[in-house]
Amino acid sequence: MIRRLTPSLSPGLLAIFIFVALPMLWVVRTSFNDLAQGSFIVETFTLDNYTRFLGDPWYLVNTLWFTVRIAILSTAVSVICAYPVALYIARTTGVQRNILMALIMAPLLIGLVTLVYGWIVIFRGGGLLNSLMIALNVYDEPVRYMWDIKGVVILLVYIGMPYIVLSLMDSIERISPYLVEAARNVGASPWTAFWKIVFPLTMPGLYAGLVIVFSLNFAAFAVPLMIGDSNTQMIGLVIYREALLNNDLPFASALSVIMVSVNALILVGMAVLFGRLILNRLEAKR
Amino acid sequence: MSDDAIQVQGAMKRYGAVMAVDDVSFNVAPGEFVSLLGPSGCGKTTSLRMIAGFIDPSGGAIRVHGRDVTYLPPERRDLGFVFQNYALWPHMTVAENVAFGLKLRKKSRSFIKDKIEESLSVTGLSGYAARLPRELSGGQQQRVALARALALEPQVLLMDEPLSNLDRALRVVMRRELKELQARMKMTTLYVTHDQEEALSMSNRVVIMNKGRVEQIAAPYELYENPATTFVADFVGITNFLEGVVVDTEPGWVGVRLETGQVLRAVIRQPVSRGSAVRALIRPERVTLSTAPIDGLNVLRGRVVLSEYFGAVLRYTVRLDDGGTLRSEVHNFDGFIAPGEQVWICALPEHLRVIPHERRAGE
Repeated sequence: MIRRLTPSLSPGLLAIFIFVALPMLWVVRTSFNDLAQGSFIVETFTLDNYTRFLGDPWYLVNTLWFTVRIAILSTAVSVICAYPVALYIARTTGVQRNILMALIMAPLLIGLVTLVYGWIVIFRGGGLLNSLMIALNVYDEPVRYMWDIKGVVILLVYIGMPYIVLSLMDSIERISPYLVEAARNVGASPWTAFWKIVFPLTMPGLYAGLVIVFSLNFAAFAVPLMIGDSNTQMIGLVIYREALLNNDLPFASALSVIMVSVNALILVGMAVLFGRLILNRLEAKR
Repeated sequence: MSDDAIQVQGAMKRYGAVMAVDDVSFNVAPGEFVSLLGPSGCGKTTSLRMIAGFIDPSGGAIRVHGRDVTYLPPERRDLGFVFQNYALWPHMTVAENVAFGLKLRKKSRSFIKDKIEESLSVTGLSGYAARLPRELSGGQQQRVALARALALEPQVLLMDEPLSNLDRALRVVMRRELKELQARMKMTTLYVTHDQEEALSMSNRVVIMNKGRVEQIAAPYELYENPATTFVADFVGITNFLEGVVVDTEPGWVGVRLETGQVLRAVIRQPVSRGSAVRALIRPERVTLSTAPIDGLNVLRGRVVLSEYFGAVLRYTVRLDDGGTLRSEVHNFDGFIAPGEQVWICALPEHLRVIPHERRAGE
């Protein structure tokens, strides 16, 4: 089977090698180079870029750890918001479903820049969100969302939701309603049937959504750039500054290598965790 | 009356303008094996699912051991259910599937352990406790589903076409095992099937359903020998119909004049009124062919048009001289009758059944 698939896959594999693997190898190589007089790359082999990162708490804590926390937080909130939505949409049919799907997919279709400008109208001092919250008596004074971490998280949550909804719906729709009936039949309340049967069986979809959204959030760049301020130094933004504003490609490369490695580590951790929890049981052994 | 394990009274289910289940009533006595038999769409599964609580009835009442459960949620009915597609929880091992309901009932760990072992051994699954459902064959999965239901010692076991996803050979084996197990455990069982062989061979009584209504409730032998309606006669086994009108009524028997003018005598159990349109029916195995002329009552004449040899059975199709065809089945045969040969048939009055020729909507 695998042997027969190989020829048809090879152009794709070649493309991945040329456009993904080679540039990454180049980035890895560059991260060991030096910068002379603050602007010229010197071909060498130095660990300076890495020691600079590891030796500076600003990078370690305010950038990397901060990014990890923001990515975890916004991914978690995305999941909490997306789960009931996915459950609800999975039960709808026809026109209602098409409308709901279009609404959920909207952030993916609009384009990030347009989307962010749209949210500025909502976020700004006298904007929609503040007017609404004040009208609902949630708080009295306008709260700052723009150029603040709150706005960044809200937007990341919003952009992450469609991915999680879509991948969850795929899992939810695979669950036969008979499985829930069988649980009810042996004495489970609707709530117990959900937690013991439906929820575990949506783990594959949840996992797929988590992987995508966590990676997107971890590497977020446009949202912190446009909504954030000098305190929202997510690592993607810092790399952009080092590469294009400070012209320090070797250091930007080192940051990129660190970002990709940390992300990969977290994803491997998630794979192990989810595999142990449930996925190993659901997937056929090879 | 409240001695019944299950009592269904005037149960109804309406979907828009369609009555999926229309005024269905029957009961299941403790320890009894009752089947709901009928073609697809006859309302048998809907009836079973209403009893289990998966569907709310539009009307009527359902009682379990005298307790009204009509609008109770399924988890409060204490009924076992075995699904056609097994419905095993794929993320749980065999043991976990069986234990799930026991854990919900807060049984002790040792009790659960014993119960798992017991129900797996009863269903012939000892040694499979740690397997996942996907590692089992269809037959084994259905045994797990059965073990899962039995472990809870439900008041009644409801089964929805549990064997129809299995291949034929396995189905026959499982059918016998299931019946043997049910009889041994004296488990009150309500069994839905479209397979008449299953229903006839396993049940104490069969409820025949058609278009949402009950056609007849009777023991398998009664159903076959004394069908109450044309539908039952046609659905259960193969039968020959002869259309006619009642011309003579005597205590215990009637004369039925066929369209050809010939009058057949038939033994009756329920009185039929003179002049009513009826169908006289005779089962193929009661139709004996003779190549020598016979005289007397109830003799029909025809020609063999087709003979089909199946080993244990020889089937003839006979075209009657007066029109119409009869099928004949011979089990102990000592010679073949060639197609084209003239045959005489004596339909004994005690082998003929008379059924009112009802005309119903949609027929």
